[in-house]
Amino acid sequence: MAGDRDLAATGDGIGALKPIRIAVDIGGTFTDLQVFDGRSGAVHAWKTPTTPDDPSIGLMKGVAEAAERFGFTLAEVGLLLHGTTIATNAVLERKLAHAALITTAGFEDVLEINRHVRRDIYGLAPDPNPVLIPRDARFGVVERMRADGSVETALDAASVADVLARIDAIGAESVAVTLINSFANAAHEREIGAMIAAARPDLPVSLSCEISPEIREYERSSTTVLNAVLVPVVKAYLDRLERRLGDGGFAPLVFLVQSNGGVCSLRLAAEQPARLLLSGPSGGALAAGRLAHLLSRPNLVAVDMGGTSFDVSVVQGGRVSVITQGEIDRLPVRLPMVEMRTIGAGGGSIAAVDGGGRLSVGPRSAGAKPGPVAYGRGGTEPTVTDANLVLGRLDPDFFLGGMMTLDMPATRTAMEVRVGNALGLSAEAAAEGILTVTNAGLGAAIRLSLFEKGLDPRDFCLLSFGGAGGLHATDVAAEIGMREVAFPRDPGTLSAYGILFSDLVQDFSRSVMLRAEAAALPKLTEAIAGMRTLADARLAADGVAPDARRIEIAVDMRYHGQAFELLIPWGEVAVPDAAALATLEEAFHATHKQRFSYSNPGDVVEIVTLRAIAVGTLPKPEVGEPVPAARPSVKGHRRVFANGAWTEVEVWDREAIGPDDAITGPALIEEAFATHWIAAGWRAALGPAGAIIAGRITP
Amino acid sequence: MSTKPVGALGPIEIEVIRNALTAAAAEMDVTIWRTSRSTIVRELLDYSTAVFDAEGNNVAQSARIPQHLNSMGAALRTLLDRFIDAEGWGEDEVVATNDPYCGGQHLNDVLVFKPVFVEGVRVAYVGALCHHIDMGGMAPGSYAATATEVFQEGLRIPPLKLIEKGVLNQSIWAMIGQNVRKPALMLGDLQSQLASLDVGAASIRRLAARYGSAGILEACSRILDMSEAAMRAAISAMPDGRYEFEDCLDDDGISGEVVRLHAVMTIAGDEISVDLTGSADQQRGPINCTPAMSNCAVYYSIIAATDGAMPANAGCYRPIRIIHREGSVTHCQAPASVAHRVAVSHRLANVMFGCLHQAVPDRMPAAYYGGSYVATFQTITADNKREVLVEIEIGGTGAAPAKDGVNAWSFGMHNNSNIPVEMIESSMPLSITRYGLLPGSGGDGQYRGGLGLFREWRVESPTAVFTANMDRFRIPPYGLAGGAPGSLGRLLRIRDGVETTIAPKSDGVMLRKGDVVRLETSGGGGFGEGASRTAEARARDATLGYA
Repeated sequence: MAGDRDLAATGDGIGALKPIRIAVDIGGTFTDLQVFDGRSGAVHAWKTPTTPDDPSIGLMKGVAEAAERFGFTLAEVGLLLHGTTIATNAVLERKLAHAALITTAGFEDVLEINRHVRRDIYGLAPDPNPVLIPRDARFGVVERMRADGSVETALDAASVADVLARIDAIGAESVAVTLINSFANAAHEREIGAMIAAARPDLPVSLSCEISPEIREYERSSTTVLNAVLVPVVKAYLDRLERRLGDGGFAPLVFLVQSNGGVCSLRLAAEQPARLLLSGPSGGALAAGRLAHLLSRPNLVAVDMGGTSFDVSVVQGGRVSVITQGEIDRLPVRLPMVEMRTIGAGGGSIAAVDGGGRLSVGPRSAGAKPGPVAYGRGGTEPTVTDANLVLGRLDPDFFLGGMMTLDMPATRTAMEVRVGNALGLSAEAAAEGILTVTNAGLGAAIRLSLFEKGLDPRDFCLLSFGGAGGLHATDVAAEIGMREVAFPRDPGTLSAYGILFSDLVQDFSRSVMLRAEAAALPKLTEAIAGMRTLADARLAADGVAPDARRIEIAVDMRYHGQAFELLIPWGEVAVPDAAALATLEEAFHATHKQRFSYSNPGDVVEIVTLRAIAVGTLPKPEVGEPVPAARPSVKGHRRVFANGAWTEVEVWDREAIGPDDAITGPALIEEAFATHWIAAGWRAALGPAGAIIAGRITP
Repeated sequence: MSTKPVGALGPIEIEVIRNALTAAAAEMDVTIWRTSRSTIVRELLDYSTAVFDAEGNNVAQSARIPQHLNSMGAALRTLLDRFIDAEGWGEDEVVATNDPYCGGQHLNDVLVFKPVFVEGVRVAYVGALCHHIDMGGMAPGSYAATATEVFQEGLRIPPLKLIEKGVLNQSIWAMIGQNVRKPALMLGDLQSQLASLDVGAASIRRLAARYGSAGILEACSRILDMSEAAMRAAISAMPDGRYEFEDCLDDDGISGEVVRLHAVMTIAGDEISVDLTGSADQQRGPINCTPAMSNCAVYYSIIAATDGAMPANAGCYRPIRIIHREGSVTHCQAPASVAHRVAVSHRLANVMFGCLHQAVPDRMPAAYYGGSYVATFQTITADNKREVLVEIEIGGTGAAPAKDGVNAWSFGMHNNSNIPVEMIESSMPLSITRYGLLPGSGGDGQYRGGLGLFREWRVESPTAVFTANMDRFRIPPYGLAGGAPGSLGRLLRIRDGVETTIAPKSDGVMLRKGDVVRLETSGGGGFGEGASRTAEARARDATLGYA
């Protein structure tokens, strides 16, 4: 793959790189770029339309445009950090490989039965959970492991040969293997893997013991199957990308963004594409983690509000919250990923009045097509964006920096006819009502995200980004008693900014099911040593120098009798002794108490799964403070409707705001891809890293 | 913040308050999830929290399970009407009960309620229901299949002030602890229920700081009126008429006689009445329902059928009238046993779907499996160590008017997950030898019923005790519009290769090492004539081995 080849070409590994580093985040509509220029320390943002059929085309176009605009040559690009939704979209659009699944005989239907809980309590014609490998492509082999890792029934080679013939017959392009209790002993899975590799060397095989070696057969199967159906798809994309490298001297080292908030090599991405599945939130969370440090605000709630969704992630004590399982399209993905609460509220959320006279906002969304009424693309139902326009918070002539004009007359009419008349309100009062309902809902989502961790909103600063976030942030913060809001630079490309500062991160796990007591130490030591050896070899293979490697251990733990676990960090432990185990146990009790309000220090604690997090530190760009543009920081005034009346407010130019400017709400701050509303009772000023920090001045 | 005078609330404020009340119920819900201790609460999520208006009508709920839906409102109303004087119920006082004959469910479900006062005015109540792991009685888990009186089922707590004038009644606390098998878990979960009431009350007081007590009272009343109006509009859209249907339970586990559930549903304008008086007399076995239990099935079915997006609260139930016959299986009299009351509730949902199919034939599916297959194993090792596994299995859903049913899917009155094979085998001497879909179990039709499943447990300890509470072994889930019924269940013990039938409602079945218990659950009923099923659909069934 390209990663290996280019690494060899650079000779000196990742440490010695050419001056330009580019982070790319490919979204549904736009491909966002952030470019770091090591010669000046400057960071530049760029956007170009996404090319859905082959996203690598848009990527290359964006890079070329940025090179021309910001003055560098393609040959000077040393590192390309690539966030992609290629795996995610392939699953959502079902553009997947035709694959087969091998299971323990008698358990072929585990994938289809899934966990069988429903979310829509009242639905009468439910859609079954997606089944990515149908029943006629799932085959049992004769074998059985026990939960303690001992063999109950040896693997019957004849049954494997029989299954191989059936796999040939259905023409599968990829194979997944998940056997019962393989988390405890993977010998049979590996034997099957070796037999397939010998007999069909070109057929890709995903073994559950390599993809997600954790207890719980359905979640492990689901993750392994997702991997298997993605391997051919992602490999094809990476091959296309690789072919484009080299054009015009463009030969950077390429790394891909994973769900866990780190990047990985092309080789690993091609073998384990399931690790890319939920990488969307990684960039924003990485940026939040970095800004927590730069702004000296270790407790941040990062909210990303776009057209259709509102994503909440939490940075506590400078660390981004990570969980061990996520899901895509109702299918569990048992791999570490950035924790995120998503609610369906965005600029496109539709406001409607029902037969009982109730005003609701969302969950229906106008999406990008037809979009809000203001876009003039056929939308007829008023949305949250339309409400912001009616109230004067958006400038009809300066939307997306003037790239798009908004249709004020049509928007006002729709607001009046569809909402105002039904409620007996003016267009303005209806629009302000829509925002009141929306902001209360956003506040409730943040409060719940913190509440379920035992945290208090008053201890946090709100970090607002995404195209629509700035219009709501101060009102939402006030709603739940938060006293500070930070608006980072380039809020529309913040994910790419986060990716720019990422490290190589690889996760390894092993389910052990041991009681946390001295007798378990030999087994723990053995398991940790095995994972450390593997992790170290992986980092070495990716060209990470020994002094840039760091391997941390974390442990999934629970009280005996509980059925789900807490993730407890154990530091860089290698050979744990009784004291290290006691420290781990204490950390578990303390975390349990914080999260669930009680702990039982006398009870038996179980270690369910061990995890190794291998970090290959990439050299960090030394970024200079951005320089304000040399033009007036107040660009004009606008009439805005707030608290039931029209008021004339100052409109500030984001790029021109300098350290001496004091912005007192109500006020608007405009920049190319976003507008920020500073409500009455708030005062804002320029802070570190070019962020605007708003503080509450009234109680 | 200023408080607004009465009558000053516009539609915006009403919507904000409605969402805030729902958020209060959600914060109470998270509190229980965070602080409870037993697996049945933490993993099966068998609990609910709710907010009620000053008269005890449910205005907002974090419902997880249809069987809990609005049963709490009935309980609060009953205890206010018959047991506790609202005027003497102070701010720092919590009333608790698990009495099935005071609006409760089975004895495992303990309800707690607390009034919320603002400026000296009662503006709301908050309440929480948890299924407790054990409440004493003749069987571990308080889930005996052969209890004939509620006295055998466990400790029965009448509505009483567990916290009086801010002080927890230690005598009652100790008496509860003395009468249950797992006192630390049970009292820990009860403690978390009490904590959730404080969280809910604080949340409502925060809201009242902005809108005043009068604002909260006005908003609650209008929220109920709006849901009622939306519900009436939805009912008006259904054709008037008298619709009758019946379905049966196999038996009560004791008499061996079928138990008939019968409904006459009348739609007239914007109202529905449901007459259940044709249902069987109350039974000796523990399948009986009080009105608070059986009404859940009627409400669930009608809300599902109206396809309305109205927020579920007490306003939705105003246009619905339910008529019971005292002494029947839907309105049992004390001291009838009730532990497996969900059996009648599931079957009543099947009956209501049958009635509603006649009114809105394009919406209602054929019968789902219609039962909670409760299986309990207690393994006993040579050194007398005991572990308990409670499993609740499910079957296939009924085919919808234009769609096949779903294979192996939790549906109807309950909503629960399975337990991973690897978790069971790691934690106790029991293995799962096979687990899969049951080909041919879905009823044939233009649209096929979803498949049931089979699961086999093998005992690895010297001995084990098995308990079952199951139904649909004699009377299958019906098909509609010419569709065939789904399959019957089977429950077998396989010892040394010899199959023996186990009665589906059994206590204390003794098993030994190597014994296998095999359960087969029902598929759903089919919809439409089998002759109309497309060739493509039949070919797909054959390819996938569904038929």
